[in-house]
Amino acid sequence: MFGHRSVLVAVLGGLLSLGLQSTLAADFESDVLPILEEHCLICHMEPAQAGLRLDTPASILEGGHSGPAIVPGVPDDSLLLLQVVSGQMPFGEEKLPDAKIDAIRDWIDESGRSGQLAQATVATETDVLPIFQMRCGLCHGKRRQEGGLDLRTLASRLKGGESGPALVPGDPDNSLVLQRVVAGEMPPPDMLFESRVKPPTDAEVAVLRKWIAEGALAAAEKALPEEAPLSNADRTHWAFQAPVRPAVPEVSNGDRVRNPIDAFLLRELEAKGLGFAPPADKLTLMRRAHLDLVGMPPKPEEIDEFLADAAPGAYERLVDRLLDSEDYGERWAQVWLDVAGYSDSEGVIDEDRERLHAWRYRDYVIRAFNADRPYDRFLVEQLAGDEVVDYENVESVTQDVVDTLAATGFLRLTPDGTYSTANASLQEKFNVVADAMQVLSSAVMGVTVGCARCHDHKYDPLSQREYYSLSSIFQSALDPYDWVPPTERFLEVGLDSERKAAESANKPLEEQIERLQAEFRELVNPHFERELERRLAEMPEDLREPLRAVARTPRMERSPEQRRLAHEHKELLQVPNADGEWHQIAEAFPELKDTAGPLNTRIKALKKDLIPLPKIRAVYDMGGDPSPTYLLQRGDAQSIGHRVRPGTPRILSASLTAYEAAPPRNSTSGNRLAFAKWLTDPQHPLTARVMANRLWLNHFGQGLVSTPSDFGLTGAAPTHPELLDWLATEFVARGWSIKEMHRLMMTSAAYRQSSRVESAAAQADPDNVLLSRMPMRRMDAEVLHDSILRVTGRLDETRFGRPARVTKQENGEIVADGTEKGWRRAIYLLKKRRLPVTLLEVFDAPKLAPNCTERRESTVAPQALQMMNGETQIEHSRYLAGRLIDERPDQARDQVAALYRTVLSRPPSAGEAEAAEADLATLKESWLAHLEDARHPGPRQSTAAWMALGSFAHAMLNSAEFLYID
Amino acid sequence: MKQPNRRDFFSRIGDGVHGAALAWLLQQDLGASEVRRTYDQKPRAPHYEPQAKSVIHLFMNGGPSQVDLFDPKPELEKHAGAAAPRDIVNQLEFTDEVGTLMPSPYKFSKRGQSGIEISDLLPSLGGVVDDITFIRSMHGEHFNHEPSLYLMHSGRTLPGRPALGAWVVYGLGTENQNLPGYVVLDDPKGYPINDLQNWQSGWLPQVYQGTKFRAEGPPVLNLRRQQELPSPLVEAERALVRRLNRTHRDARPHQPQLDARIESYELAARMQLAATDVADLSSESEETKEMYGMNDERTRAYGARLLLARRMIERGVRFVQVFIEYQIWDNHLNLDRELRYACEKTDKPVAALIRDLKQRGLLDSTLVIWGGEFGRMPLAQVGQAGTSGRDHGPAGFTMWMAGGGVKGGHIHGATDEIGHKAVENRVSVHDFHATMLHQLGLDPEKLVFNVHGLDERLIGQYPARVVKEILT
Repeated sequence: MFGHRSVLVAVLGGLLSLGLQSTLAADFESDVLPILEEHCLICHMEPAQAGLRLDTPASILEGGHSGPAIVPGVPDDSLLLLQVVSGQMPFGEEKLPDAKIDAIRDWIDESGRSGQLAQATVATETDVLPIFQMRCGLCHGKRRQEGGLDLRTLASRLKGGESGPALVPGDPDNSLVLQRVVAGEMPPPDMLFESRVKPPTDAEVAVLRKWIAEGALAAAEKALPEEAPLSNADRTHWAFQAPVRPAVPEVSNGDRVRNPIDAFLLRELEAKGLGFAPPADKLTLMRRAHLDLVGMPPKPEEIDEFLADAAPGAYERLVDRLLDSEDYGERWAQVWLDVAGYSDSEGVIDEDRERLHAWRYRDYVIRAFNADRPYDRFLVEQLAGDEVVDYENVESVTQDVVDTLAATGFLRLTPDGTYSTANASLQEKFNVVADAMQVLSSAVMGVTVGCARCHDHKYDPLSQREYYSLSSIFQSALDPYDWVPPTERFLEVGLDSERKAAESANKPLEEQIERLQAEFRELVNPHFERELERRLAEMPEDLREPLRAVARTPRMERSPEQRRLAHEHKELLQVPNADGEWHQIAEAFPELKDTAGPLNTRIKALKKDLIPLPKIRAVYDMGGDPSPTYLLQRGDAQSIGHRVRPGTPRILSASLTAYEAAPPRNSTSGNRLAFAKWLTDPQHPLTARVMANRLWLNHFGQGLVSTPSDFGLTGAAPTHPELLDWLATEFVARGWSIKEMHRLMMTSAAYRQSSRVESAAAQADPDNVLLSRMPMRRMDAEVLHDSILRVTGRLDETRFGRPARVTKQENGEIVADGTEKGWRRAIYLLKKRRLPVTLLEVFDAPKLAPNCTERRESTVAPQALQMMNGETQIEHSRYLAGRLIDERPDQARDQVAALYRTVLSRPPSAGEAEAAEADLATLKESWLAHLEDARHPGPRQSTAAWMALGSFAHAMLNSAEFLYID
Repeated sequence: MKQPNRRDFFSRIGDGVHGAALAWLLQQDLGASEVRRTYDQKPRAPHYEPQAKSVIHLFMNGGPSQVDLFDPKPELEKHAGAAAPRDIVNQLEFTDEVGTLMPSPYKFSKRGQSGIEISDLLPSLGGVVDDITFIRSMHGEHFNHEPSLYLMHSGRTLPGRPALGAWVVYGLGTENQNLPGYVVLDDPKGYPINDLQNWQSGWLPQVYQGTKFRAEGPPVLNLRRQQELPSPLVEAERALVRRLNRTHRDARPHQPQLDARIESYELAARMQLAATDVADLSSESEETKEMYGMNDERTRAYGARLLLARRMIERGVRFVQVFIEYQIWDNHLNLDRELRYACEKTDKPVAALIRDLKQRGLLDSTLVIWGGEFGRMPLAQVGQAGTSGRDHGPAGFTMWMAGGGVKGGHIHGATDEIGHKAVENRVSVHDFHATMLHQLGLDPEKLVFNVHGLDERLIGQYPARVVKEILT
């Protein structure tokens, strides 16, 4: 364990604080022990809860399952203090009074200064391995061995590099590695910022010294303390048992049972003296099915077709038609993209850099839904597509190969700012991995494993060690110690046709860019040379030539001596040449602004038009042995605890074939594939239930389990446990077919009910938990967006590919850019975290950080402002009005009828048609008056008629009837 | 007849009704883990008697330097030019521009009856120190702007969580139903880092998201049409929407969301008037404008926004957040020039805000918060041509609070002798947030929202204590 660090911190504590004097003094026996005796020892002595005894300083330092209870000298990093300050301990008691907390704090602080806890301990490889891993591994590890030196193992350190062995056991002062570190030469100071490596702390240097002095002892991993046994209550929790298929119940109103779903629901309804609401009428049901499955209302001709089909089974045929439509995938992929947390930008830092290749994952999901990819297969591909397909040795790259690899983008969707040096600390990298674990667990597993990142889970039987075992499965691909920034982590695999198309489209652009760049260089570099020479002239003569050489050698190619020089003469060398950033060039040579400036602008604009060559934002094994995984105390990357090995949580694994990795080929570990197989075991207690519940939630407005990402002990109990299990087992039995589940749910009598609320049902089933009627639902943001485009005739139906751009307008509104054909569906709009399309945002499109497992619905004034005053909606309405007028000139009544049919998917009643006529007359009059006031130059009568119908159409888009689904 | 239940009552309640019966009903709504069916910004009772009703958060983007403004360190003079300790250097962001310990070039003077020392760069603020508690022992968690902004605004160094104002309006609603409860005023001279993620509602419902008021033009997005129409036309269309919606609603009993939808259109219409009115500063006296520095080019824009903040508080807006020009306090390499500029821009308006709130009797019920995402290092950061400034310093920095039941003329906590690390009565960002909620009558442990099955808090799972020492 790495806990000795704390002891050494104690020894060195006094040296670090500029000699600042402390007035504090605290004594364990007199000041702290009485508090512990009164509040803690009842649980933390005999027996020692969580493996922790608090009766002596040594046992406190030794700690328990969560690591040492204190870090001498650092109260704020000490678990003991954190627990009492937060009031989480003492368990079941009031929070300790401030005076007692302060006494504990003072003692921890003081123990750091006085070194009273320093003990004789032996340092082993186990203690130093993480130091080498964190501080040296980047240049002397798996990927690079600078100077021929690999510091990963004891043997490789002894072997050393070009300068000889890195260490001499027993002789720290003659050990190169220690010499270089102590002298501040390693890690190299000029590389610290860009590599984000921090030099070892003084305490770590002391551990290294001690370890070498004691003979460089081999690893002595302590046996891990036994995990606490799972309690009976935990083991018997319903969601941790494999689902068992229940018998379909008998009900009194058997005539309303269309399939088993109805029987399960009716049993509960009948117990309350209720039944289903009457069936919805044909057009209501049609609109519901359309918005549900394809996310847009039916077209008028589809309405005609459906109404004309009087044969039995017309509705079932409608459902089939919709499931076969390609629009379906574009609607349901969004459900999955929410839980996966899909975004086209990296987030985290202000720049919010665009992810140029993320869309392939979006396209994969759309295609997978349209092809009804079995859910188990869908998961396997997303977790381990790279292990499924041997992409390095395929004969030809097909769309299927691309898709299978793009699927692994699932774990690469979380916010990731590590491409920026300033945000690439080890902790940030661990945060990215933790977010990926959060997505995986909340989207697929239905347990909140994230809690166990910093401490054992408070409610569910998931230990911190199990969290890191789970995360260890992914370390061969997402290794914080061997990190590739998101902007460079790609598989360069793509369709030949796509590559060729891009290359030939880019060729003329590239030639033009090259020409301009040559011009640019010619303009800038003479200035660079002159300025450099001017500065060199002020230097001593013997330095000029070496510095000149440094200035002309690209950074990464400089020798160690050149690097030293560069660091020492940093300012002198800060003369930008043509390869530098433009703003630096412009600052250094203002005289170039008018000549090189426009060139630079043109080059940039041309570069934007280049089509990126096909790349896949995938997860794939990085090859070689992954770095060791450690439990991180409090989730802190610098607080390393026990080493852990890949594994799955015990509570979920009881009935399953054990997780066991078998590499499918040499270049990959097989860890993720093994995990995916474990996850999609038909006996898995959660996988099928969680997805069945998610599908239900999206059809019926609320889940059978109302906490769709938490089936654990604090999650909601299912309202219909047997129905959930029946659905889960049916899902597996039907080959994990998602379309089969849609069909099943949507052809039930429950789904076909009216949404009108009868008083009896309102009273007996106020929250509609029993489904005594179909819930009325509001359109999701994307459904609203797409529906507006569909009904107004402005939808660009182009599918797949790079996202459509969005623009922030002068007034601050963020809108989608139009294409030649109109506007694309919301799923194809650029999802930049910093640039959320305003219409989608105000209608509750989720902010993904990292994902969204259930949308919330709000009703706020900005929605009304957006719909009433937003320019886009007004323009679309006028476009629709114009279209209707063109199709039915001079037939106001027909125009109104067509408007109702198009927007609301039904004909107007006689009363509505009459009222509309009056409304249009009033609107037209107002418009006429306005056009006259404005001295409108065009034809006023026809313009006013058009504008009036536009206003009417706009009002309809603003109506609740359009926005809500009966 | 069916008794209206509590939720019906709330969904139909008129605006601005604050009777005893309402208060009683609100009292019934206090369960910690209560799940609300509908989310709105109607006023809700706090958990306990509040000291403050509203908050003005003056956010100082970039990280103002504590040792040059609020935290005098004579010891730094003694150590001037000394190399910095290795463990401090290890924390720097720009590890390649490390200078030596750098004393403040500014003079500090004792001000007010309390005799609190602050920098001469802030002469106006010096005049109101007796209304302020300076917390000199703040400490953060991260060395970079973005994560520290997330931390300061939402309690965690990662994006995605609700902002302070979102939590507060979720907890308390707001007094004026015709204006948003959480208003953000940003600086047209430069958007803040993280932009709208600073005031997002995260997983709280959209209704709690900050609404940005613009300095010019229609103050709220789409408050009016881009191409304005004469009012009879606007009214005709609005009437049509109203009629369509009422007919639709009347055919669908027991659907409160349809009432809420109708109400949202009415509110939007009222907001057009209310927002236009609040943003119209022309009715303010010349004296007031002068006090806020609106007659001086250097202070005009910021002064106008602080005056707007006061007008919002007067009208019952719960939480006003004022951002400032990009990263005006991020003085890495040219401390003197940049710090003077930032002080000149803000000093007079900020002092005016406190005076103005006080003279109108609003300071007692308004908590004014001043601070950035972190402070700065006592070391110099050395740039080209001998310029120097200071790198980010999250280990110890100063923030202040005024009004809202906070002591005046008070100093809390201390940094070490060189002003680097908070050592005495340390106050974490979570403590700071807890204290703010507490003053508003919200129990930081009980203000929860269920996400992924977990009760989430502003303070998260972190240890947080209310800093009682600074309260009256």
